[in-house]
Amino acid sequence: MGYIFTSMMVPLLYLLAFGLGLGRTVQVSGVSYFNYLLPGLVAMSSMNNSYNWIASGLNLSRLYFKTFQVLVQAPIASTSIIAGYVISGMVRGLFASLMIILVGLLAGSGFHLSLIFVLTLLLNCFLFSNLGVIVGMITKSHEDTSTYANFFILPMVFFSGTFFPIERMPTILKGIILCLPLTHTNILIRKTVWDNQAGVSFLVMAAYAALFFIIGSRMIKNYSE
Amino acid sequence: MIKIENLTKEYGKVRALDSLSLEIHPEEIFGLLGPNGAGKTTTIKILNTLVKPTSGRAWLDGFDVVQNPLQIKQRIGVVPQENNLDRDLTALENLKIYGLLHHLADLNTKIEAHLRSVDLWERRHDPVQTFSGGMQRRLLIARALLGNPQILFLDEPTIGLDPQVRREIWNTIRRIRTQGGTVLLTTHYIEEAEALSDRVGILSHGRLIALDTPENLKKMVGEYVVEYVSQDGSKVYQMCRTKEDAQCHLLRTENEMTFRKANLEDVFVKLTGARIET
Repeated sequence: MGYIFTSMMVPLLYLLAFGLGLGRTVQVSGVSYFNYLLPGLVAMSSMNNSYNWIASGLNLSRLYFKTFQVLVQAPIASTSIIAGYVISGMVRGLFASLMIILVGLLAGSGFHLSLIFVLTLLLNCFLFSNLGVIVGMITKSHEDTSTYANFFILPMVFFSGTFFPIERMPTILKGIILCLPLTHTNILIRKTVWDNQAGVSFLVMAAYAALFFIIGSRMIKNYSE
Repeated sequence: MIKIENLTKEYGKVRALDSLSLEIHPEEIFGLLGPNGAGKTTTIKILNTLVKPTSGRAWLDGFDVVQNPLQIKQRIGVVPQENNLDRDLTALENLKIYGLLHHLADLNTKIEAHLRSVDLWERRHDPVQTFSGGMQRRLLIARALLGNPQILFLDEPTIGLDPQVRREIWNTIRRIRTQGGTVLLTTHYIEEAEALSDRVGILSHGRLIALDTPENLKKMVGEYVVEYVSQDGSKVYQMCRTKEDAQCHLLRTENEMTFRKANLEDVFVKLTGARIET
């Protein structure tokens, strides 16, 4: 129960404060702000939950509980180990997303579940779970995982199109923002039809996901205390 | 067989292991003795592929620990110094996960046999966090033996345990050798090294300073020890090769003296000038 409440809390606050507060009267990109915000919060929540579950859990199991060492001393491939971690991160991210969607539906959102939405959500959870593995492997203390979250994850939340379209950002920042994986999640998750922009965002996300998976696998394979 | 050649491990400027070379024979219990920081755990971690050496090589049954990690992992069982059981899971669940990771056939039968052998079968459904330290140590040993490993690594297996539990674990280790396994045991408990080991290697500051059977090591420095307190209050240990030499010392001084057989700590002191702190 504690986890259900925790995973819903922050996005729910955003949804209520911004979505209901502004949502009914403000229009963004042709839809009410409430309906604009909901997919962004799903993207944000799935990212946070997938990433944090793995980064924090792997860090603790490696440095403090030493249960990670049981895995690397087993005669299994490093890709199997990272797959296990990533799947658990994806389940966590998907569960948190489901909670947000349910709250949004209860609040009267005009949300529709599309194939593009589901594909984007799965890819987002996969991508950030792999990033969680990398961070969990390189951090030297548990406090370091918060440092990485504050410097990389948190800025992405606010500047990647979660709360407002990136078109409203200064041009000088757009180049940087378009390099961030969550930006492309937010672009793709709001698409109702597949177009060129959707294709580009999908490829960027897939490239990041593949890169993080390869790096994470190599780190586990070459692990040495 | 385990073969180690010039194994060195550096952590920054600290040389944890310095050109270690030795061989461990099949079906041998080999004790690696030394104080904290001597390089015992580093040696075990290199052999079980958790740590990559800075230089040098090691082989287990002909397989290089760096080049062939998969083959190494298929042959070994490890009882680590730290308790790395999953405390949220039960004893049964911990062993089941280990068995699945190691692709073990007939897993349920093996789990029951090993839990019974360490007297934990009745507690198999209890979370590990409810176990005492001795019970968790026994479960770690059962887990390490689950795959019937050819080589077993025991890193300080009885650290922090009371004497009775320690002796129970010693009996378990002795049974392993009778079943045809090779054991590399690290410890800083003198009596443990003497009680269990066919041969003992003594490490100090990452270097191997002596290697032989416990009896031969003691004969090297003297079989008997006369202990007394000197004028300045410090304890003096006089090594004597024969009982007659020891008796001569006893007669020679008016100080209160004790007379005993030498142990491996006396060997360590003779070779390094320092005691192994316990």
